[in-house]
Amino acid sequence: MQTLLSGFRTTLSNILKNKQTFFLSVATITISIAILGLFLMLFFNLNGFLSKWNRQVQLIVYLVDDITPADKENLKELIKNAPQVDSFDEITREEAWEEFQSNMSDNLKPLLDLEFNPLPASYKIKFQETEDRLLYIRELAETLKNQKGVESIEYGEEWIRRFERFIVFSQIFLFAMGGLLCLGLTLIISNTIRLSIYSRQDEIELMLLIGATPRFVKIPFLLEGMLQGLAGSVLALALIGGAHFYIKKEFQSSIESMSMEFEFIAEPILFGLVGLSVLVGLMASYISTFQFLRMLNKK
Amino acid sequence: MIQIFDVVKMYDGSNPVLDNISMEIEKGEFVFLTGPSGAGKTTVLKILFGWERFEKGQVLVSGINVGKLTHRNIYTLRRSMGVVFQDYKLLPNKTVFENVSFAQEVIGRDRKTIRFKTWEALKNVGLTPKKDVYPAYLSGGEQQRIAIARAMVNEPSIILADEPTGNLDPEISIEIFKLFEELNRKGATIIFATHSQEIVRLGNHRVINLNRGKVVRS
Repeated sequence: MQTLLSGFRTTLSNILKNKQTFFLSVATITISIAILGLFLMLFFNLNGFLSKWNRQVQLIVYLVDDITPADKENLKELIKNAPQVDSFDEITREEAWEEFQSNMSDNLKPLLDLEFNPLPASYKIKFQETEDRLLYIRELAETLKNQKGVESIEYGEEWIRRFERFIVFSQIFLFAMGGLLCLGLTLIISNTIRLSIYSRQDEIELMLLIGATPRFVKIPFLLEGMLQGLAGSVLALALIGGAHFYIKKEFQSSIESMSMEFEFIAEPILFGLVGLSVLVGLMASYISTFQFLRMLNKK
Repeated sequence: MIQIFDVVKMYDGSNPVLDNISMEIEKGEFVFLTGPSGAGKTTVLKILFGWERFEKGQVLVSGINVGKLTHRNIYTLRRSMGVVFQDYKLLPNKTVFENVSFAQEVIGRDRKTIRFKTWEALKNVGLTPKKDVYPAYLSGGEQQRIAIARAMVNEPSIILADEPTGNLDPEISIEIFKLFEELNRKGATIIFATHSQEIVRLGNHRVINLNRGKVVRS
């Protein structure tokens, strides 16, 4: 405990002695963690939007114009018996045409003044709001698309598939970027600590000469590295928080109609970012002190 | 207390700085280690406090086999010794009091003991009035007295002095030498490396003379 307290005092004195280097290093960590955090926030929101859209996805089965009542019954039976189906509505050709017209702007209406109804009748199938509902939608779509009386099926599958691929790519990208940033931070912090060590080289040599344990020598530098990581990540989180506040204030209204909102990074991930940064600081300073002590011991 | 057997030390792999030297120093003894510059005096001391490794031979200090110590446990050896250098090795950003306290902080003494022992050590070397002064504002003799206070404050059984009077004028050198004799009277084993015959003549102590890495007289 006393070693730790004395180490902490030395750490503070080191920082005061090398203020500029310390703050430069903290600034670099802040920027790096802020970049990683902003990407994480973007990723979370995209992921959130996807889940939201997934919940809104419904299966639409378009029927051929000359469908027989028997085929219609068969389709209804298949839909009713499919798992996870919440409800389904039948939209007649006339209802579809009316809805289409009511959704058109007044300027375009004269253009659509057709003498016949081009729209097919359809079934709109709603599914229960579960995580794996997309699986059941796909399954039912596969069953229905080859049935008699079905013209086509639509649920934006291609779009959803692309979006899912994008999410997977984003995950890989985030991991790779996180890894590279951690590596960069390790090098930066380890260099800052090395400068701190060299500025106190005489003192360290003297400490060892008069019987200091390697741990006593290392602790102040390890604490300094951890402190850099902590200060850098906390500042970065404040920056990300600020960015989130700004984005929400400026753009929330534009996505409110979709009953969505810009989310901040989840709490466990926030703590994870701080922990990661502190760990990188510890690791980097350990590397520097280890190398320096090894150099002294090689004599 | 200190036994050195057939020690060989080489820096460049060819010319030995210490060439099969052997010596024994009894507990409580005061020994002069003499010889011209480059004779190997400093290297012997550095080997004794585990700062330098050696290629061959065996070194025992208070029963500890120095060659077997690793960087993880070498501190146990160093805590049994006090070392005084020609260039004092004081920390310029610490006051006299802090320089002496530092040696105790390093070994984990509590604050109260540190304060008490530092006062005592500074009183022994006559530096209490200057306890808050930084080393740069003190004379060479005073700086060396701080170094001696720092070396003795942890009550080591062995004190190694590497040319402690090398940078001092004769009068001050005598004062410093007397401080070491005082420590010896109190029971510490002293190895005093010097090339000054004047200092050697001052005391009636055993002399180990080194030349070109060999013991030529003991």
